[in-house]
Amino acid sequence: MNQSTELYKYESLAFFGEVNASISHELKNVMAIISETAGLLGDLADLATTGNPVSPESLKTHTGSIIEVIQRGFDTIRQMNRFSHSIDNPITEVNLTELIDLVINLTSYLRFAGKTNVHNCDISKPVVKTSPFILQTIIYKALETHYKNGSPGEETVISVCSQDKSIWRIIFSKMNSGKHLFPDNSIKTMAEAINLKIVNSEGRLELDVPIAI
Amino acid sequence: MTSNNTIKILLVDDEEKFLKTVSERLSIKGFNVTTASSGDDAITVAKKEKFDIAILDLQMPGISGDELLKILKSNHKFIEIIILTGHATLESAVNCTKLGAFGYLEKPYDFDKLLVTLQSAYESRLKKKFENNQNRINEIQKMSLNSFSPLSLLEALSQFEDGEK
Repeated sequence: MNQSTELYKYESLAFFGEVNASISHELKNVMAIISETAGLLGDLADLATTGNPVSPESLKTHTGSIIEVIQRGFDTIRQMNRFSHSIDNPITEVNLTELIDLVINLTSYLRFAGKTNVHNCDISKPVVKTSPFILQTIIYKALETHYKNGSPGEETVISVCSQDKSIWRIIFSKMNSGKHLFPDNSIKTMAEAINLKIVNSEGRLELDVPIAI
Repeated sequence: MTSNNTIKILLVDDEEKFLKTVSERLSIKGFNVTTASSGDDAITVAKKEKFDIAILDLQMPGISGDELLKILKSNHKFIEIIILTGHATLESAVNCTKLGAFGYLEKPYDFDKLLVTLQSAYESRLKKKFENNQNRINEIQKMSLNSFSPLSLLEALSQFEDGEK
């Protein structure tokens, strides 16, 4: 096996590990909130036995909080499930808007994450036949680097527009200097594997995704 | 056993729900708790008030927990720091200890363990302050034996406060 194939395999595994680590961190936070709120309810119950009654509103607030956080945990597990299944088929039909939405959710677990919205330029569905895992990796890495270099809370817009009958273009606007978005060659190797063209310019990144590879 | 009413805690975490709940639990136990939802807020609050102990989350946007640990330890001589993290690693624990953290707990943690750690951290802080004060007393005694002027002795005594900085 040549070196670039080995590097590609390693980078893919590293990406998988990185995303899973951020998801597990998020789930730990969810567990911590549930644990603390349940503990607080216990403390309030103890106080009640010493003549300090607990208000029903307070109980409702805390139990509501637990339910809300459990839902947040379920949402996180749903994203984890979507991500895990992205490697079921190496090449398959993918809705670009849905794929980008998943990546935006996955990057939201990074401590330095900003806000990103996805927008479809066309009425038609942006469906391509490609490797969902590789495309996710490239988009994730672009957003991750952009968030690291940007200000907290800064907003980014990703547009998905058809260029012609053979290409869908993913446009990242308000990006920091594009030249630093892909500092290593592994992303370029991945892009070549799916015939993806990467165009960096000042404040803008464009990914040309062919309809089929 | 020290009354918890005397212990001032700065609690720093970007998770609002976690911050509110832990703050309420610690207040029920009698601690005097101030919260901050970011490193920047924590630094601002710590300039205005003296805290015995700071409980810090590691993973926060902006100033991270370990950067905040360094800043608080350099600006507040006797503050003790406890780290709470959902991303505990051996490397991180060693790094935080080298930076001066007193305790390192992984979320979700056992609340009773946090209480024990808080008591130990406060006792450690008192011990350090006592030793620092003892050293100062010794210095002043030496000065008076060496017949320094009453004015310079008074100046030395006026600096003999709680030696936070």
